[in-house]
Amino acid sequence: MPDLSAIPTIALKDARIALRDRFLLAATLALVAAALISLITGTVAMRTDVATYMAAKQQLLALGKSLGSIAAPEFYPLKLMRGTIEQIEIMGAVIALIAGYRAAVEERGRQTLALILTRPLSNWQFLAAKLLGGAGLMATALAFVFALCAVVLALGSGIGIGANDLLRLAITWGASTLYLSAIFAVGFGLSLWLKSPASGLLYAFALWLLVVLVAPQIGDTMDPDNQVAGGVFAQLSIPKAEQTRIKQGFATYETIRNGIEVSSVTKHYERFTFAVLGIKDIYTGKALGPIWADKKGDAWFLILFTLGLGGLVLLRPIRADRLTKET
Amino acid sequence: MTPSTILRRHALAALARERTIALVAALFAALVLVSAYLGWSATSTVDAIYASATHWFEANGKPVPSNPVTQGSPLALLRNLTIYISLIGAFSAIVIGYRMVETDRRAGVLPLIGARPLERLDYARGKVSALALAVGGLAALAGVVGAATLAILPSVHLGPGDWARLAAFFSLGWLYMMTFGLIAIGASARARSETVGLMVPTVVWLVLTFVWPALTGNILPTAAINPISALAPAPQSTIFDLSAMLLGPFSLAEAYKYLGAELMGYLPDGLPPRGAVPPLVVMMLFAAGSGLYALRGCLKLDMTKGGPDA
Repeated sequence: MPDLSAIPTIALKDARIALRDRFLLAATLALVAAALISLITGTVAMRTDVATYMAAKQQLLALGKSLGSIAAPEFYPLKLMRGTIEQIEIMGAVIALIAGYRAAVEERGRQTLALILTRPLSNWQFLAAKLLGGAGLMATALAFVFALCAVVLALGSGIGIGANDLLRLAITWGASTLYLSAIFAVGFGLSLWLKSPASGLLYAFALWLLVVLVAPQIGDTMDPDNQVAGGVFAQLSIPKAEQTRIKQGFATYETIRNGIEVSSVTKHYERFTFAVLGIKDIYTGKALGPIWADKKGDAWFLILFTLGLGGLVLLRPIRADRLTKET
Repeated sequence: MTPSTILRRHALAALARERTIALVAALFAALVLVSAYLGWSATSTVDAIYASATHWFEANGKPVPSNPVTQGSPLALLRNLTIYISLIGAFSAIVIGYRMVETDRRAGVLPLIGARPLERLDYARGKVSALALAVGGLAALAGVVGAATLAILPSVHLGPGDWARLAAFFSLGWLYMMTFGLIAIGASARARSETVGLMVPTVVWLVLTFVWPALTGNILPTAAINPISALAPAPQSTIFDLSAMLLGPFSLAEAYKYLGAELMGYLPDGLPPRGAVPPLVVMMLFAAGSGLYALRGCLKLDMTKGGPDA
């Protein structure tokens, strides 16, 4: 039975270093800033919609007309998290890549990697400790982000949030931790394996571009409704039933488009969290049970992708000629 | 041969040998092709949706609206290029600018250059002109692929004015990429470690692309990756009016996407630019500022350090 006590020791050492050199603070602040900017601008936009509705309502009442001509909008505070989720997808992923790079370079740069490997410690134990440390770092930074978002939502939306909303935020936090841990593993693995850690970071950025931005971008722009300002169906004023009929004629195109989108882990993360938070209209106000039944595929993809990447990093042996910063 | 010419040749030869640069350039070329295909495919699909909808309008005795895809310029087929230049093009320019100085430092060439009777200004001229040529190569590559696509498609007919607009669009793309390449030269010349040299321009690029537009009114970060959504008007609010006025002149990515859409003919009617400063002026000011940053970095570059341990 191998001695596993070294794993938490190394993971905690990473946590202590992250706290000491303020990387955790900087990463958290960057993520908080990006997330809050999106949340606050979303809140401002929602309040503008509320004000527009109230003005229209007052005008109709003043004219003695019925309110039936304008639909009363329903406001769901969690829908305001859309920008925050997108910031986690993009900026959060960059922070995770840098954290992964940093976890590799702090051992290579200080020559401690060679020293650690002279100890009675397996490669996989060392790698598992670094991955766990990274996942802990991501979980901590995201916990601050989501806690702050909950406070802003409760105070800023004017509607308040309940226990069910908090549960949904907690599930989203878990999914976000998994997503960023996977990206952390990419940054860590490449920075450890390549000849120079900076080259690892560069390749990680190129991968980030492809996985986080380009694949979803291709799927997004292939959507015919995104090709015309305001949407093609809206511009042509086609009723919903007819839209559905027309869309059935483009099933193959839609399958290809969807296939490109789901090749990216980012899209699975987005689809799952958008459903849990009710950002996507068809899931707004729905209970978590039916959402899980619908979106468990995305959740499993996220879990297996993260575990798979972690496994890949664990299985690949550390090369002796990559122990220092530069070779 | 002037010293800056020698340095330019050396920088370009070193770039040509770099596998990373070749990889990034190949990625960029592939995405330009993807962009052309996407434009064609999505436009054909909207066209087919319109044809299908026409039957419904006629069957219900309603007036048939005009086809949304025939209302715009044929150049709009390449609208995704605006996004790819702002993503992979700008990133490629950052990598080129970063490698331009870092390769000299890591190969131990900097102390040798420093020992020669050369002015630092010659070094700066050599590096900036090499960057201009390398980024110009990327823009030309995108231009050739884009022009060939438009020339091949049977349903697309371009007049001389359209070709001129296309050329102006790629010149604009070159200026945009150059801005980030220059920031990368300045950052890697000034940075204490090679990672910081890469991180500084990347963070500037990320903030300008995904965070700044959220402050000026394009509230969703992923709007930055869709050529149409990137042009969404800001919500009607005093706060966004104020933020657009104050922060709009610093929103480089939005200025580029606005001008790109105007040149390629898919700018929504009546959409004003963010802030009171014309987008072209914003782009010129950013390019001039980043040029000065690169120049300052090269002039203050420590020529005594070089080699793998520098």
